[in-house]
Amino acid sequence: MTELLAVKDLNFNWGRNEVLKGISFNIESNEVVAILGVNGAGKSTLIKCINRILKMDSGTVKVCSSDLSSLSMMELSRCMSYVPQTVRTSFSIDVFDVVLLGRRPHISWRVSPRDQKIVSETIRFLSLEEFAFRRFDQLSGGERQRVIVAKAVAQDANLLLMDEPTSDLDLKNQITTMKNISQIISRSHAKSALIAIHDINIAARFADRILLLHDGRIISDGTPQEVLTIDNIAMVFGVSSHIVPITDTQPMRIVIEDELQDMEGEK
Amino acid sequence: MIPLDELSFQHTLKSKQHALMIFIISLVTFLFAIYSMGTGSSSNLGFWTTLKIILGLDAGTELQSAIIWKLRFPRVLMAIVGGAALATAGALMQGALGNPLVSPLTMGVASGAALGAALAIVVGWSIVDNHDLTIVANAFLFSLIVVFIIIQLGRYRSISAESYILVGIAITFISGGIVSTLQYFATDAQLSALAHWSFGSLSRPTIQNAVFVTMCLIILMPTALKWSWDLNALSMGGDDFAISTGVDPVRTRKNILVLSALMTSIVIAFTGLIGFVGLAAPHMSRLFVGTDFRKLIPCSAVLGSMLMLFADTVGRTLFAPIVIPVGIMLSVIGGPFFLYLLLKSQEGNHD
Repeated sequence: MTELLAVKDLNFNWGRNEVLKGISFNIESNEVVAILGVNGAGKSTLIKCINRILKMDSGTVKVCSSDLSSLSMMELSRCMSYVPQTVRTSFSIDVFDVVLLGRRPHISWRVSPRDQKIVSETIRFLSLEEFAFRRFDQLSGGERQRVIVAKAVAQDANLLLMDEPTSDLDLKNQITTMKNISQIISRSHAKSALIAIHDINIAARFADRILLLHDGRIISDGTPQEVLTIDNIAMVFGVSSHIVPITDTQPMRIVIEDELQDMEGEK
Repeated sequence: MIPLDELSFQHTLKSKQHALMIFIISLVTFLFAIYSMGTGSSSNLGFWTTLKIILGLDAGTELQSAIIWKLRFPRVLMAIVGGAALATAGALMQGALGNPLVSPLTMGVASGAALGAALAIVVGWSIVDNHDLTIVANAFLFSLIVVFIIIQLGRYRSISAESYILVGIAITFISGGIVSTLQYFATDAQLSALAHWSFGSLSRPTIQNAVFVTMCLIILMPTALKWSWDLNALSMGGDDFAISTGVDPVRTRKNILVLSALMTSIVIAFTGLIGFVGLAAPHMSRLFVGTDFRKLIPCSAVLGSMLMLFADTVGRTLFAPIVIPVGIMLSVIGGPFFLYLLLKSQEGNHD
């Protein structure tokens, strides 16, 4: 196992509002790591600090054994790919060409048969063949999201950063897409994924490890069984729950029961 | 299940179709250029005679040779390179700002040039003494000021595409205001000269001007093409998406804007205001070859040449010997054609 990402003491502020406070964690190769937390907990911000869309205020990030600030944009994009939460399209292109943009860090001008092959394989792998030559802006929200995942996969970087890649997907496609991502990670041995997820059960099922983000800090870091305790869920999400433990045939499941009364807010 | 090779094959096929399209438009433009050089108010030489004279196979009579080389060749050359430069600038600017409504004139380059021209015509102030070049030099200098403002704006890391557009609009208003003030105090003759400048005409440029623009284009065009992939990422998915493919959106936007403003300035300093081709040619090209800038830039360039050449040829033959400036003809013929294409392209999306 090699270390793909090392985040140490990362702080980020929006103005005077401290969003991330002293975040530290490492990611080794061959793991799927989920970031869980409520809306506004800083999941997207953390991912954007790691890929340098946002500039952290202090701390160090090492990617592919280099310091984040020493890498050029192009070197960074060979090291990590990124699925943003939303994509703002002004001029749309064919799905095949969107996925081909994942090869951009490897292409100078001409598209080689190898690039075309990688793109075709990725399109096949994520079952996007029927859309391959449709325009991106003519797809539904969920289809678009899968195309953007395909683009990140075609990029063939060792670290995949994904910001809620399943938020627009229907139930079946959530599971299929997460399965595909797990497969990519487990079959290569060199890759890992860091995924911001809002669905606690998707995280419990597909993540090898969960980072629980609360109030700008990681309050728990471990396997789903270790992190997703009734107490942690109550503290972070403010809901009561019970847990159906993992069995040979069933993944661990969290059944949400009801919202908890805010103890501090009411007197 | 579609075989894997089939997907690659289809992709390659589409690329080849697009390349063929660009080739056909270039060929039509070339043939039309020959026709255009043989046609005019003084005498019609016919296509083959013209072609022979141009290729040097037949010297023609002294008069024929003079008409072609001295009168019509500079004009046709300027139409070709000017149209190509303005259309390319338009494609670049629309891509960099992610906005289909912008044209090379959006950033205020043209209004800067107009201010320069107005200063030369009304106040008689120019940066050069050479009388032939006063207006050209002023127009160019003042449009470069706009380029300089873009460079300065690019130093702010957080500047967005919208901010650029707003600054462009502000520049347009400011220079427009000054030009109006100058017009208020101008004589009738000066007003008429200024109006003529703003029509956008290919009668003014000399052969030296046309060759100069050609050389600039030869240098700037490959630079523009070099940014194709970055523009693809930026216009497809916005800033965050671009970053994920290794493209710095802020730097790309600044460089592209400077490049396209420069291309625009070089042309309009000699021709006066020609706006429409920079808006329409990129949109028409998208209908032909899609949005991949590796094809969109060359296609816009050749289509821009064709539009400009066609409009100018019609403008100088329709009511010969009266010549209607190309800027006017482009709007009058190009506008409806553009609308027709746009409406036709909407048919597919219509239930």
